[in-house]
Amino acid sequence: MIAHSKFFAKQNGTPPAPQQSKLSFSTKPKANKTEVPAEQPASTPEEDVTGEENADTAAGAGIQTDTDGPAMDVDSEVASEAGKKRSAQEEETDDDDDDEPPTKRQRRRPAKEAPKPKKGKQKSTTKAPPKTKKVAPVKEEEPSDGEEEVAVEKTATLARAPKSSPAEEGEEDVEEDALSSEEEDPKAKAKAREKMQTTLKAKTKDLYPDWKPGEPVPYAALCTTFSKIEMTSKRLEIMAHCSLFLRQVLRLTPTDLQTTIMLMINKLAADYAGVELGIGESLIMKAISESTGRSLAHIKNDQKEIGDLGLVAAKSRSKQPTMFKPKPLTIAGVHRGLMGIATVEGQGAQGRKVDGIKKLLSAADSRTAGKAIDIEKDKGGPSEAKYIVRTLEGKLRLGLAEKTILVALAHAMIYHEMSQNGKTPSTTDLAKAESILKSVYSELPSYEVIVPAMLEHGILNLPENCALQPGVPLKPMLAKPTKSITEVLDRFEGKDFTCEYKYDGERAQIHFVAHDADMTMATEVPNAGKSDRGVSNIFSRNSEDLSRKYPDILGRLPTWVKQGTKSFVLDCETVAWDKVEKKVLPFQQLMTRKKKDVKIEDVKVQVCVFAFDILYLNGEPLVNKPFRERRDALHDAFVPVEGEFTFAKYDDTNDIDEIQILLEDSVKSGCEGLMVKMLDGKESSYEPSKRSQNWLKVKKDYLAGVGDSLDLVVLGAYHGKGKRTSWYGAFLLACYNPSTDKYETVCNIGTGFSEAILETLHQQLSQIVIDRAKPFYTHSSGNKDQPDVWFEPKHVWEVKTADLTLSPRYKAAADEVSSGGKGVSLRFPRFIKERDDKKPDQASSSKMIAEMYQKQESVTKTKGPSVDDDFDY
Amino acid sequence: MLEARLEQANLLKKVVDAIKDLVQDCNFDCNDSGIALQAMDNSHVALVSMMLRSEAFSPFRCDRNIALGINLGSLTKVLRAAATDDILTLKAEDAPDVVNLVFESPSTDRISEYDIKLMDIDQEHLGIPETEYAATISLPASEFQRICRDLSALSESVSIECSKEGVKFNCQGDIGSGSIHLRPHTNVDKPDTNVEIDLTEPVSLTFSLKYLVNFCKASGLSDQVKLCLSNEVPLLVEYTLQTNSYLRFYLAPKIGDEE
Repeated sequence: MIAHSKFFAKQNGTPPAPQQSKLSFSTKPKANKTEVPAEQPASTPEEDVTGEENADTAAGAGIQTDTDGPAMDVDSEVASEAGKKRSAQEEETDDDDDDEPPTKRQRRRPAKEAPKPKKGKQKSTTKAPPKTKKVAPVKEEEPSDGEEEVAVEKTATLARAPKSSPAEEGEEDVEEDALSSEEEDPKAKAKAREKMQTTLKAKTKDLYPDWKPGEPVPYAALCTTFSKIEMTSKRLEIMAHCSLFLRQVLRLTPTDLQTTIMLMINKLAADYAGVELGIGESLIMKAISESTGRSLAHIKNDQKEIGDLGLVAAKSRSKQPTMFKPKPLTIAGVHRGLMGIATVEGQGAQGRKVDGIKKLLSAADSRTAGKAIDIEKDKGGPSEAKYIVRTLEGKLRLGLAEKTILVALAHAMIYHEMSQNGKTPSTTDLAKAESILKSVYSELPSYEVIVPAMLEHGILNLPENCALQPGVPLKPMLAKPTKSITEVLDRFEGKDFTCEYKYDGERAQIHFVAHDADMTMATEVPNAGKSDRGVSNIFSRNSEDLSRKYPDILGRLPTWVKQGTKSFVLDCETVAWDKVEKKVLPFQQLMTRKKKDVKIEDVKVQVCVFAFDILYLNGEPLVNKPFRERRDALHDAFVPVEGEFTFAKYDDTNDIDEIQILLEDSVKSGCEGLMVKMLDGKESSYEPSKRSQNWLKVKKDYLAGVGDSLDLVVLGAYHGKGKRTSWYGAFLLACYNPSTDKYETVCNIGTGFSEAILETLHQQLSQIVIDRAKPFYTHSSGNKDQPDVWFEPKHVWEVKTADLTLSPRYKAAADEVSSGGKGVSLRFPRFIKERDDKKPDQASSSKMIAEMYQKQESVTKTKGPSVDDDFDY
Repeated sequence: MLEARLEQANLLKKVVDAIKDLVQDCNFDCNDSGIALQAMDNSHVALVSMMLRSEAFSPFRCDRNIALGINLGSLTKVLRAAATDDILTLKAEDAPDVVNLVFESPSTDRISEYDIKLMDIDQEHLGIPETEYAATISLPASEFQRICRDLSALSESVSIECSKEGVKFNCQGDIGSGSIHLRPHTNVDKPDTNVEIDLTEPVSLTFSLKYLVNFCKASGLSDQVKLCLSNEVPLLVEYTLQTNSYLRFYLAPKIGDEE
């Protein structure tokens, strides 16, 4: 492209920042010698001078390029043949094509225009790709840009501004905050849709100028959309931006739709594919340092100050200019690059990952090259480097929920399809598309399958072409927490429901297809899942492949699958199992298993599968059947095998006393509590990925007596990241041991704080920072267990916890529980309030914590007094 | 059909050694005028440009333009198998998927032959304009290498200031600073040690030492190195090879000082 036809002239051309532009070969020699040989890029000097002057006054990207445009032409005439041809061609295309990237277009503007635009300053700093006549409705900086003469533009500005901004933004402002808070409300949803529809009808202009149809989608287009999304917290606006962009992709390059979606949800592939970038902060910092020529120390310092590597990268860009700019990034190119980084293996993999990142980073922001990005403004704007780094980190931090993307995709798709027939979708059409895509996606959460099918058959025919299939894990249905049994009764009044034990293990989904079934598994099957009966796989609640963790479950699977069961998808809980005592073990036991590459012969912690739901059986999805039917099917299709596979224990009662007894029994037998589920009717169907009202959980934590609060002393803190940058993000707490007069660490805490509290805490605590731990702090000496700062023992906080557990990282009551140096620690600690009235030495004592732990253990321990020994599965 | 016989396999060996840390994969563009290579490092801060003219080979035959996409790591491995005084012959078909290297020992009858698989590298040709530089400095390659190595112990970047008096390499680091001043100097007996400065205007530029140290790996190729500078323009570091061939490095200057 143009960029490459000239040596440093290119640098002079596109980039707006004065520093970078100076990087031209030509400036000095020419200025000095007038008898320059013909070969020399003769043109630039005067142009440059004007360019720089302008840059000083207006600092506009456009201006700089303007002046350079002619320069390049002259240049090419005298320079090499190739150069000439190239720019000549570009000239042509520029003229014909309205859809050219804006940088090129600007070059066409006659140089005399240059000094005029004043607003140019604003536009060029905020928007990498300057607008053409396509004007996004929400843009205010727009008007000064564009093709029209300035005079025309001015009037246009006046005309446009009042029309677009208030119409789009004003209304939304009023409604949206309310909407987002109650997004489940159907009324609000309808309203939202209406809004969407008007937006769609309104012939909204795309944020990013069209690229050539069929050409790869520029990454800058996505970043522009991202930036817009980042700037708002209004869900509808976010959705509108997404939908608009997806429509543009559909219209111009539908083949890139899938990759675009993947980058938007920030996943390289579906979860079950197990593709991970495997990049830590330090690798990214190394890459930033190497590609920008800034020292690692500076990068680290910036990271501490800014707390967002994306912004650090954006800020660091301009220190070391590049030679030729690489081609601008495309969505497909970025995805390929990321995949490359994720799949690098073997010797020197780390180094090659860094190389891959450097390549992406050096190609980033080629349109705005070298211009210092003001990270204070617009949260860094649509900087490609920023979003690449955030993608690498795995956190885009846009407030862009996957659900929003799904809805936006549905809207974009239906709009696209209908507009091809010259129609505009009504709110009902939108609602239909939305519900179709949602339900298909919940059964088959794989854009790799859905998007191509949708492009081929149309969104309305999606249910016929895409359905639940073994091999593609779906997101499990979740339950709403309740505070009491009476709440459960209120919810299910007059309905039949069942109470199941809620086992304390790991949620899992087992997929199976028999050899003699007339279907195949949709995804590749691990070796562990292959048996003489068929192929199987097991997935976590996050759809990760668990076959390397539970080869024993897959290995024994044929023993509990009834003959005649050809295929199924099973929802279950894997629980650690004591073979001798024949009872379940606590969750902590399960967690001691290796996470990967478990060998069946090495398994020490036996695992039993507790099945409680079936989503697919013998070629047929069951998710929409009532739970009673599903449960019957479940019991028909499998044979319980003691200690290996069993059905979750349940009771279909609706008597409050019976439920109370059941709950107590469940807790005694090592469960977390009860799951209460609707039995009949439409409400009892399986709703993947939903936290549904139709499943309620009653946990032991909510029972009176358990979950006492503790008063603990703050000893240290960790620097915050992201939202919590510049405050402390987490704290180290300790209890007090009056017999030794020492403080013993008990947990880290990071939940339960509001931003306001964090701010005051930071003010308060930074006063009492000390250099190192006091000698009377009993804490783990492990490198990873050291907080970033230590405090004087002064403040006491009230903290609630769900559970107590043993941990080598903490030292509380380590002597009392005598478990080889491990201390008692809190699970899921939550900040309640400061206890100004308590002195540090009045904090909860380690003895008290030891007692609480022992009391809790006695319930779960095998030979504990209160265990119901008759109970068996 | 390409067939290029190089009397000294060592030449190619040294060239590849000098650039393999900057560039991993690149195209060797072969045409009737010789073999050329042009590539940028991952960060696009430096550019390598090599030209081995057809006269450097005997015989040299190249019927049509061929781009040999080679992984330099693989090429290094194969070249390691060549003795320094071996005669090297490069061969490739017109639409090759491998490049063939033959090493002949001049003293014995040993002939070894290797094939390297080629790859498709998407690389555009970047036109580098001939430029008149404000300052051109010729100095012994070993001297330049020493300067870069010594200063890189102190700092990450070096500023090169060239004036009528001479050229000054200057760096500021955490532990202190250092500077080396060279004056023009002619020694008729030992022209290798000459320092020549051709100046039309004083220049001062800052560069990353990491890259310069990397460039200096080419010091073995030529006694003298030529540095060409103009303000705000990339530095050219040129090692002249025999018969008009060259190995050139370009490096974009750093902007501003670290904060």
